Amino acid sequence: MAHEVELQTAGNMWKVLVKPGDQVQAGDTLFIMEVMKMEVPHEAPAAGTVSAVNVAEGEEGLEAGFVAVVID
Amino acid sequence: MLEVIKPGLETSIQDWPGRYGYLNCGYPWSGPMDSWSFRLANVLVGNAPGDAALECQFIGPTLKFQRNTIIALTGADMQAKLDGEPVPLWQSIAVNAGQTLAMGSARLGARGYLAIAGGIRNEVFFGSRATFNKGGLGGMEGHALKAGQVVPVGEGQGRAGLKVKEAARPVIVTDKRWQVEVVAGPNDDWIDAAGHERFLATDWKLSSKSDRGGFRLEGPEWTFTERAYHKLPEHGSDPANIVDHGYPVGAINLAGQTPIILVSDGPSGGGFINPYTVPQCAFWKLGQSKPGEVYRFQVISVTEAQQRARDMAARCTPDSLE
Repeated sequence: MAHEVELQTAGNMWKVLVKPGDQVQAGDTLFIMEVMKMEVPHEAPAAGTVSAVNVAEGEEGLEAGFVAVVID
Repeated sequence: MLEVIKPGLETSIQDWPGRYGYLNCGYPWSGPMDSWSFRLANVLVGNAPGDAALECQFIGPTLKFQRNTIIALTGADMQAKLDGEPVPLWQSIAVNAGQTLAMGSARLGARGYLAIAGGIRNEVFFGSRATFNKGGLGGMEGHALKAGQVVPVGEGQGRAGLKVKEAARPVIVTDKRWQVEVVAGPNDDWIDAAGHERFLATDWKLSSKSDRGGFRLEGPEWTFTERAYHKLPEHGSDPANIVDHGYPVGAINLAGQTPIILVSDGPSGGGFINPYTVPQCAFWKLGQSKPGEVYRFQVISVTEAQQRARDMAARCTPDSLE
């Protein structure tokens, strides 16, 4: 089953820690957003293989709800 | 009483006009970033417009009600659900003891407001219940909400089913472009004609390094008048340096070449010039804008700004309800 990881907040993309093909465990940090001078880490909801990464480090003005990473 | 299940990104108790009158002691006024939406939330539940309520930023909290009451949500759409059912904005609704309000991410706008009939009754510190999170004062134990806290709420007389008339609500932009009113000064005479022209003709981008202390803007370099270069040494070496002075709330503070709008929890003084100031009537636009969105500034007179603030206050009354 595919898990879509959506952006929890509007903001900028500070760090992207995974690439397609990576194996992740539930709870692994996938990427970290920045808003209000705060880091907002996003974690894998389940174990699996990263099949898509739709964000890049340094991207600005991202909107909440955007599907950033897909895990199969 | 309100139990905090999840606190959200930085959810804080605020009141209006906040900790007003203590800038000379270094205490910012705090208070809501969007006082228009904030006051209307209170009016909806039968409170005074300035009563203490919650400001929810970017990611909202999850809260459990410990008794029956009336609430209202205004400002940003944070996709709030009450026991799984979507909650409409700009309306007063009844909630029952044991129900859970879960707010999500801000989709339209950045800051949502939750008012509860009777108002929040945390401890008053220096005349206000507002939170200055970075300074560790006001609010709950000096900070934004934390999971497990129980927020005290007063007894209210609100009723469900009231709505804010469409015409009385702030309109949050959908195209990421805001026109923001400014008044010139206090240090507009330090910027040359080309600098002023450039300021008003630029799309200034809001940085993600922006919070309730300051809103950092990205744009072109500034140019200065002669007085910025030929000044007594105590002013400092940078053209934007001046002998330490008080900063107005909303000042567009020029930190070297970076303009930073000093907002609700901003510093009360320092040694940079403030060529322009965002007046109270335009402040709500800052509160509802997100990183990456752009501002285009428009100069209005102090008299006009004051009139617009009065017009806004007139909208934040029960006359705006239906």
